[in-house]
Amino acid sequence: MDFGRILLLLAQGAGQTILVTLACILTGLGVGLGVAVLRRLRVRGTAWLVETYTYVFRAVPVLVLLFIMFFGLPALGLKVPPMLSMMLSLGLIAGAYLAEVFRGAMDALDPQELLAAEAMGLPRWQILVSIELPQMLRLAVPGMLNEFTTVLKYSPFAYTVGIPEITRQATALASTTLRGVEIYLAAGLLYFGIFQLLRIGVRAVEKRFEIPGFGMH
Amino acid sequence: MALLEVIGLTKRFGDRTVLKGIDFSLEEGDTKVIMGPSGCGKSTLLRCLNRLIEPDGGQILFRSEDVTRADTDVRLLRQRIGFVFQQFALYRHLTALENVTLALRKLKGMSSRDADAKALLELRRMDMEEHRAKYPAQLSGGQKQRVAIARALAMDPAVLFFDEPTSALDPEMSREVVALINRLRYEGVTMLCVTHDVSLARYVTAQVIFMDAGEIRAEDEPERLLSGHHDPRIREFFGNLGHADA
Repeated sequence: MDFGRILLLLAQGAGQTILVTLACILTGLGVGLGVAVLRRLRVRGTAWLVETYTYVFRAVPVLVLLFIMFFGLPALGLKVPPMLSMMLSLGLIAGAYLAEVFRGAMDALDPQELLAAEAMGLPRWQILVSIELPQMLRLAVPGMLNEFTTVLKYSPFAYTVGIPEITRQATALASTTLRGVEIYLAAGLLYFGIFQLLRIGVRAVEKRFEIPGFGMH
Repeated sequence: MALLEVIGLTKRFGDRTVLKGIDFSLEEGDTKVIMGPSGCGKSTLLRCLNRLIEPDGGQILFRSEDVTRADTDVRLLRQRIGFVFQQFALYRHLTALENVTLALRKLKGMSSRDADAKALLELRRMDMEEHRAKYPAQLSGGQKQRVAIARALAMDPAVLFFDEPTSALDPEMSREVVALINRLRYEGVTMLCVTHDVSLARYVTAQVIFMDAGEIRAEDEPERLLSGHHDPRIREFFGNLGHADA
């Protein structure tokens, strides 16, 4: 079996890896944005919830949370499918980190612009939607790409709950062929390729929304 | 009829009283300039008038309606007061045109087409039409201030507030903006302007309000304040700026 054939076999898991990564990124983005909005609007009674979430979910290891979701919850009568388990573990952890990225980007906004919007009579939610979020998302791009990469690198945990992604395919192949070095090297190459796709995708979005003189890097 | 009448306005920040019973009025079509040393409460006064800062006491009558009342529609009040800031405060992610149309679309409910037409009219009035597609980072300080003025004027406000409109500009751009404000004065725009800029005061107004330590110390013609006023504090202030005879 040559290296090309190994790559081809492992590539069958690449689709699942991409799916897990995208599902967890979207979960993280949704939750992270929600947390950022709640923080920004200072919604009464949500501060403790938001702070507890970001504090706890940044501290718990992905694998522990994944096992709680997948193996723990069925004991309480809640059967959670593998993909949903990944979203509720890796996705929510990414959400907690992204919420911090968004907080940093929100803090970098010019308070004068927000004051001007307030002086104009724009309602609070309109200021958020028309001024704060469009600027914050642009400023958060480097931090977001960093977090997306982390999600990709944690995606092999999906293997532990039975999702046939790249690492699971590699492990199965290595156990039957005993050619671990080439197989895991091929797996590494595939992850690198997916990382490049992710990077190119984010850069394309960044380029699309680039504004002269606005702080995007 | 007074467009704006301020009666006994007070504001405290902790133990510090920043406004100690301010009284003045502004007629329709009139322009007044507020001057005074840094920290005397000028900008706080301006922000209290459109309730960006909540005053602690006194009354603000806007076209005879007390807008300090709890049931005042503060956002509607703000829409009737255009506000131009020292640092321009243009939205960096929007073009000059979009900066002007934002409030027209979101607050006045105009269609994009109508908002664009109105915004272009105001940008043309400020000689900024050709720069409509530029982002704030691509404009000079003077151009940014012109867009900021166009943005405020587009809402057809009853009065325009300026908070140190020339402080962030070099002398040449500052002269441009002063000339522009003067032009607005002759067009009959009601304006209230906080500034340190003596040339602005001399050029655009018949009445200067001099504030010191949270109080109005004098309200007079610019030349009478600038040239050997009987109040030593006023003489000292303008003397330090190099404009008093005293």
